[in-house]
Order: sequence, then C-alpha cells, then structure tokens
Amino acid sequence: MSDELEKSSDDLAIAAAREVVVDNKSRNQALVSYWVLPNIFLTVALLGGLRVGADDRAFIFFPPPLITLVLAVLLMLLFVRGGLIEWQSWIAANYPPLRNVSHIWVLLTLFFASAQAFNSVLPERGLLHWLFSFFFLWTLWNNQFSSFDARRLLRSLVVLFGTAFVMKHLLLASLYGSGGGWLQRVAGALAQGVSLGTLDAPMFAPATGYISFFTLGLYIAGLVLAANSKQ
Amino acid sequence: MRQKLIQTLGLGFTALYALAIVWLYATEPRSFKEVATGAQVAAGTYQVDQKRFDAALDLFRREQFRAAREEWKSADPAQSDPTTQFYIAYSFYREGWGRVYYDQDLFKQGLEAVNRAIALTPEPINVPDQNLQLHTAAELKAELEQGMERNWGDVNPLKVMRQRK
Repeated sequence: MSDELEKSSDDLAIAAAREVVVDNKSRNQALVSYWVLPNIFLTVALLGGLRVGADDRAFIFFPPPLITLVLAVLLMLLFVRGGLIEWQSWIAANYPPLRNVSHIWVLLTLFFASAQAFNSVLPERGLLHWLFSFFFLWTLWNNQFSSFDARRLLRSLVVLFGTAFVMKHLLLASLYGSGGGWLQRVAGALAQGVSLGTLDAPMFAPATGYISFFTLGLYIAGLVLAANSKQ
Repeated sequence: MRQKLIQTLGLGFTALYALAIVWLYATEPRSFKEVATGAQVAAGTYQVDQKRFDAALDLFRREQFRAAREEWKSADPAQSDPTTQFYIAYSFYREGWGRVYYDQDLFKQGLEAVNRAIALTPEPINVPDQNLQLHTAAELKAELEQGMERNWGDVNPLKVMRQRK
C-alpha cells in the first residue's frame, strides 16, 4: 500500500515538473514571438534607412524607395515558399483574435525590416541604384521557382545581402572615398568619366557601413530566430 | 492568461516603437540632440532657453541682428516658439531695410520666419514690445511682402524719407 502511495506521489512530482517545463517553454516562445522578434525587426526598420553624413556627421534618414517594397514582397513570398514562415501556423481561423493580430503584426514588421534591409545595401541614387535593384529582382524572381527549405533560404540570403554589403560599403565606398590615395582617386574619376557621371554615389561617413553591418546581422539573427521558434 | 498578457503588452510596446520610428523618419532629426528636442516638442514639454532669448533680445536692441539671430536659433532649436520666430523675422526685416532699397534675400528669409511663426499657433501673434512698431505677425508679414514687391513707387525719390519700423 505504501509502495503504491510512494509511486503515485512520484508520478505527481514528475507531472508537476513536466508542467513547469511546458509552462516555461510556452512563456519563452511567447516572449520571442511577441517581444523579441517584432523589436528586432523594428530596429532593422529603423536602422536600415539611417546614414551618417560625411561632412557634418549628421543623421540622414532615407525612407525605403518603392523598389525595396517590391523586393520585400518577393522576399516574403520566398519565406512562405521556403517554409521559413508556415502560414497555417501563423494565422488560422481557430486561433484567438489577439493571437492572429499579434502574428499579423510580426509579419508586418518582418516586411518592413526586409524592405529596410534592402534599403541598407542599395546605393541611394544613380545607375548603381538601378543595377543593384535589377540584380536583387532577378535573384529573387529566379528563387521563386527553385526548391528551397528554410535553412537553404537563410544561407542564400546571407550570401545575397553579404555580397551587396561588400559591393556597396567596401568597394564603392572606397572607390568614391575622399581620403584615398591618387590611384583610388584616378579609379574613381575614371569610373565617373566612363559612365558619364551616372555612377555618381553620395558619400557617407564610415559609421554608415558599421550601422548597415549591424542592421543586416540583426536581420539575419531575427530570421534565424523566426525559423527556430515553433509557432 | 500570462501568455495573453505577454501578447497584449508586446503588441502595445512594439506599436509605440513603430510610431516612434515613423516619427523619426517624418521629422528627420540630424543629431541625438535634435531627437531629444523633437521628443520634447512632441511631448509638449518644450521650452525656449530664456537666458539665450534675453541675450538675443539685448543684441537685437543694439542692432546686432546676425548675432541676435544666432542666439535665438540656439534658444529655439526646434523652431517651435512663435515669439522667437517672430523676433527672428523682425531681425531680418530690420537688417534688410534700407533707405534706398530693401535686401530681397533678407526679406525673403524674414517672410519664411514670420510664416513659420504664424503656422505654429492658431492664435494671432501679438508681441507687446515697446521697441517695436509692428506688434503682430500679420503686420510684419504685410511689411515684408510689400518690401518684396516691385512697382513704380520704387523710383520715387521721396522714398528716402520713409522710416524703419
């Protein structure tokens, strides 16, 4: 009799411990979904359009150009196709309204973060702006017809944004930078001359590159977190 | 219940954060200081620096118009105080006023400042300063606009007899 009692009290203790674990897990998931993810994506949306002027170190806010919104739509479609966003688990008729609203809000912040991530690595004007936009458009359009899973999609995005970051904030910035040597100035002048001035790009302080790096890192971290958090 | 609380609080907080981002992109502050000033204006706690304002007024009365404007700009960095903007416009008027001709560039800047002052408040601006002859923003605006108009009266030699207000 006492053995049975002991066994049942052990079972109760295990069940209680399990309940605590499940409770903690669901609470942590809720924190990630409703606090961490939207805050990460909103921070990306804030910093993606931020530049620092080369002359006076003043903030310059670049709102997302229309093309970045188009690119963000394509990227969102890719997220759904690649399984990074499982539509059914985010929004469903049998969920409570507050949950659906919260999930739509997270998706909205992801959309604007995506637009601003593109904004961060797109040259601000001139032919290069359109060249970069075209390459992004081409890549995303092609990817719509490729088979992807979430992990591959993330890798592909890291490469895509990484390449654009290197092109804009390292190569172009050094080509048009004012502090370089004569070879750099000659290369910059040649690029300007050959392209009849269409390759003109505004100059920003080096802090802009750091902000962009941090923004892209945060964006990718947000995507990894979104992929790992089971809704 | 706790999950619902997390959802509601998260939604509320992030909505405020999103509004702050929209506000930043709409107002385009150029430094952290401007961000702080803009936040004060938005919260309704903004006040001009009275010490600098008085220093500027003193300079204005000594006809040091440029120096006065610099002080007023420092006193009202958000350009949100109608009285300060009125005085800035007045300093442009007095500096641009001439017996033979008016400085069009200064008058234009004065007009911009007085328009800014008028746009800042729905009430008519009335500055009871005994050293000024134009006490309202409407009077100052009319004076500045008249000064920018070109007509045959400009070649009237008797014009040199006119008085600065």
